[in-house]
Amino acid sequence: MGVQLMEDTEVAARDAIAFPSVEWFERLAQLMKLNRARNEHLGYIDCVAVFTVLDGGLRGKPWSVQVTFEEFEATDVREATTADLARADFTLDATMATWREMIESIARGHGRPDLTHTLNYLSHTGAPIRVWSDDPLRKDMFFRFNQSLQEFINASGNFSTIFPD
Amino acid sequence: MSESFRIDTMRPLPASSSMNEEAVERYENEFKQHATKWQEILERNNERMKKGSYSLHWMNTDNAKWGRRAKPSSRGLTYTDINNVPGYGAIPARATCLNFAPRGSVRDEYASEMPVVDDYTLVDRDESWADNVITLYEEAKARQWNATRDIPWSELERLPDDLEKATCQLATFLTEVEFVAGDFPAKWLYKIPQDFLEVKSFIVTQMMDEARHQEVFRKRAIAGGGLLHASPGFEWALKAIYDAPTHTMGTFLLNLLGEGLVLSIFRSGEMIAKTHVDKEIFRRCLQDEARHVSYGVLELKNYLDHAPDHEKALEEMHRFADVGEQVILTSFSEAALAEPIAILLGGGLDKIDQGMEGQGKLWSMSVEEYLQRCDRAGFPRRERCTIPLEMPWACS
Repeated sequence: MGVQLMEDTEVAARDAIAFPSVEWFERLAQLMKLNRARNEHLGYIDCVAVFTVLDGGLRGKPWSVQVTFEEFEATDVREATTADLARADFTLDATMATWREMIESIARGHGRPDLTHTLNYLSHTGAPIRVWSDDPLRKDMFFRFNQSLQEFINASGNFSTIFPD
Repeated sequence: MSESFRIDTMRPLPASSSMNEEAVERYENEFKQHATKWQEILERNNERMKKGSYSLHWMNTDNAKWGRRAKPSSRGLTYTDINNVPGYGAIPARATCLNFAPRGSVRDEYASEMPVVDDYTLVDRDESWADNVITLYEEAKARQWNATRDIPWSELERLPDDLEKATCQLATFLTEVEFVAGDFPAKWLYKIPQDFLEVKSFIVTQMMDEARHQEVFRKRAIAGGGLLHASPGFEWALKAIYDAPTHTMGTFLLNLLGEGLVLSIFRSGEMIAKTHVDKEIFRRCLQDEARHVSYGVLELKNYLDHAPDHEKALEEMHRFADVGEQVILTSFSEAALAEPIAILLGGGLDKIDQGMEGQGKLWSMSVEEYLQRCDRAGFPRRERCTIPLEMPWACS
């Protein structure tokens, strides 16, 4: 890692960010961009993923963010509307408690979750994370790009996350 | 040496005959038969060279698609980018150029002098094409990984004996089965004409992927204790794939059904892995496997969508699947596969019952995913599926 990249990563990592929020995912996108060399090594990732916190919105309603991945970057992060959901290749649904447990595991592991908190571990049986899509081919993108998605989330180990009480 | 042994009693070795004599003779005869063609070319070239004259016919661009330059996209120059150049991207419905001349080159005027590759028999595009094959090829190249270097082997931890044996048995199974997905495409690769170069290119990446999977699981087993048991049930499933009567049928059985189930095993493998090394191995492999599954789904869809007699094509596929599913099931019901997964799922030999219960859920999910993929391919298999939706396991 070059000196500039290290400095950039440190800047990106400085402040604590609330989860769930668009800013939190934007920070992951920023870190992905800074770690381009690593992402080039992993290979292209071309998909649109929605992350839903089932009880993360106002009055415990669902809150979703849509992340568009192109080549080696997350090129767009936005709070997902109903119209956006149709663009998504797949959606990952989980409760705040599940997301929190996973993010805290990544933080404890300095950017690597323990054996029972990877995206695949948590989603394989359909719970506590449910990965779904109307189209099995588009759902398969979750598998095709799994390592990149895992490392995208793992980047949260580089900054502090604040959770609602 | 015995006293009675004397060199003059030794018999001469039998006269050796070349092992390849017949093959070389066939080769000579074949080329002698066609000598009028290639020798004419050779003589013509010799005469020109002796005269010191140049042909420069290859600079004539009258029939070429010359000057329409391909432009790279942000990720480099992809097959899609060059196929967007007029004259290069049209995939013929039926390949008639059965030699190595590149699609889009000036080749028709030389056709009468060119040899025919008899092995190019998959001449219909819809026997191998899939609409996602270019995307998958580019993705496959970009997402290659190295089983020697990219796995953190130095972090491999010693596991309790039951878990290590289960992990090594699972790795043995995967070592045994993975390369059929290299051998099967290889068996068809050389039958696909050059005009379908995108399919050939993707198939080669699949073979590379499978070589790496076979490598990584062999390494995992031998680094963890050793290879354990091969199984007859695995072998019959592999033979069913290898011997499939057509490319589409074999691709359905291998990529859509077989690799779809192996994808589930990889996902389970990641979930039940007891070390970060194993997690990384399974995560890397499942990505590759998902590409193969995607090709299988759209290859079958393309085949069925374009079949001249759709109903007949469907019925043939069903007949094939009736047998294929059962033979594949033979493998997935083998103790040497189901039991180690149950031990890893449960967390130990003493928790194998809990593991089998968990495996029952995964079974149902995997079969449902298979049926969804069949639906997506336009192959309605739900009513005829011969694989039980529930795992046939009686809890003791």
